[in-house]
Amino acid sequence: MIGQQIINGVTLGSVYAMVAVALTLSIGVLNFLNFSIPGLFMIGGMALWALLDAGIPWPLAVVGALVIAVAASLMVERFTWRWLRGAPHFVPLVSSMAFLLLFEHIAIAYWGSDMRVVPEAFSGGDWRIAGLVIGIPQLMGLLCSIALVAGLSWLLASTRTGRALRTIAEDPDTALLLGVDINRVVSVVFIVAGLFTALAGILFAINYRQVHPFMGEAVGLKGISAMIIGGMGNIWGSIVGGLIIGTTEVFAISYFGADFVDLAVFGLLLAILILRPTGLFRGMQPVRFGI
Amino acid sequence: MLLNVRDLDVRYGRVHAVKAMSLNLAAGEVVAVLGANGAGKSSLLRALLGIERIAGGRVEFDGKDVTSWPASRRVKEGLVLVPEGRRAINALTVEENLLMGAYNRRLTSAVKKEVDEVYDRFPNLAARRKSRAVVLSGGEQQMLAIGRGLLAAPKLMMLDEPSLGLSPRLSEEVFVAIGELSREKNITILLVEQNTHRALEIAGRAYVVELGRVVAVGSPETLMSDGTMLEAYLGQGKATSAMSKRLKVAS
Ligand SMILES: Nc1ncnc2c1ncn2[C@@H]1O[C@H](COP(=O)(O)OP(=O)(O)OP(=O)(O)O)[C@@H](O)[C@H]1O
Ligand SMILES: [Mg+2]
Repeated sequence: MIGQQIINGVTLGSVYAMVAVALTLSIGVLNFLNFSIPGLFMIGGMALWALLDAGIPWPLAVVGALVIAVAASLMVERFTWRWLRGAPHFVPLVSSMAFLLLFEHIAIAYWGSDMRVVPEAFSGGDWRIAGLVIGIPQLMGLLCSIALVAGLSWLLASTRTGRALRTIAEDPDTALLLGVDINRVVSVVFIVAGLFTALAGILFAINYRQVHPFMGEAVGLKGISAMIIGGMGNIWGSIVGGLIIGTTEVFAISYFGADFVDLAVFGLLLAILILRPTGLFRGMQPVRFGI
Repeated sequence: MLLNVRDLDVRYGRVHAVKAMSLNLAAGEVVAVLGANGAGKSSLLRALLGIERIAGGRVEFDGKDVTSWPASRRVKEGLVLVPEGRRAINALTVEENLLMGAYNRRLTSAVKKEVDEVYDRFPNLAARRKSRAVVLSGGEQQMLAIGRGLLAAPKLMMLDEPSLGLSPRLSEEVFVAIGELSREKNITILLVEQNTHRALEIAGRAYVVELGRVVAVGSPETLMSDGTMLEAYLGQGKATSAMSKRLKVAS
């Protein structure tokens, strides 16, 4: 029973973790709390449902949902980050919040505000090992997120773009004078954020089979909590934070009931913040505050 | 002319930091820019690189009008700045900092050989290639800044107060290195310096700027021979404009 709960906690936690990674990358490189991320999460889930509903086969629907979310993320970049560079730092934050509302209301306009049911992805595809049930989508989700995060940390640590991102994070003026085209490199952050968040939304839709226009908000809050627990700007910290929150949530449901979930999760966040105000990990990754 | 600047203006809101400055550099020259604090030297270099907005005038580099080019394109063309305050990236290793210098070049074996050349020139850097730049001393950071500039394959290297805050021995090393770059690699140098005497020793020509204007230009001998020059450079002389007229006649 405990084993099964850990599996379920990790499944949920990997969704939070991916959202947290997107948030933390944006904070770490751009010092920008990107509030449109919950909207991108919703776009990932709802676009998947809409494409499936239109009769498009699974693999294409997944790719299509990712493409739509990345395009939306680049639009956020164009109109918050790029336009408002040089404005006081809360201005991009507020305008990214406006994008969250915009995305939610576009979703309502197109798809209505009802809860929609996503068809089952892999019927009868569960693995049963020693009495534990591991769904194929659960497993795939976990593998995908591990692979993506490993890829992201390789990108940051060992590539030309990664060096440029770390330079921008520390000192954008110097990045500029070294000949870095900041707009181009910054769009990488938004592409990655769109990709990670939308994939989290898609995994959520596959695992829990429900999507609606406001599905991003609760998950966004948990993602922010996971990011804070892991230490802002720290990618692997976000993963750990996401997994902690996911398992806490699952255990809280089964021991105290659904009403106490948020109490447990945010109580834990508060406790960790009191004990370690900067989060559990710090300076583990080269990504740091900048701009 | 490698660099030809006509009536360059830089403004920060109401501050008019660079006022109709004109200067030119032939390939292979070492030219110094001297002036008191706040004279507009850094603003000039930053505007030439394209990281400060040019409010007026025209910049021609290597025969091309680069006035409206973004910095990245100018760097690619070989216009390189070693900035005031060195600006090493602390989160990056020494080697990664050097590679950032070569950001717009493909990392061919030729570039890797140039990295090794930088290590040969500055052995202190070689010993710390895998360390974060934050552990470097001030002198080593300046070596890193120059090495990083070299890896951009400069035609013109602009250095903004490279000896600032260094011990006399380390400043001397920096000046020797700059002289070598000019002689051995035939890199054209535009050098902003507080250390007037040392700068005039390695420069073939110098511009004196005051309150955003070029007030004198000439060979080191001409500038040195005029007793009031240093006074003007320090920004204390009231007789500046009279002196600058004489200097202009002389040059
Ligand atoms: N970002 C800025 N915003 C507003 N004013 C600025 C800015 N940068 C420089 N200035 C002003 O422009 C003028 C020229 O500054 P600049 O840094 O170019 O001088 P400098 O000759 O390099 O001085 P120093 O020898 O102290 O480095 C100064 O009056 C300075 O206060
Ligand atoms: Mg200066």
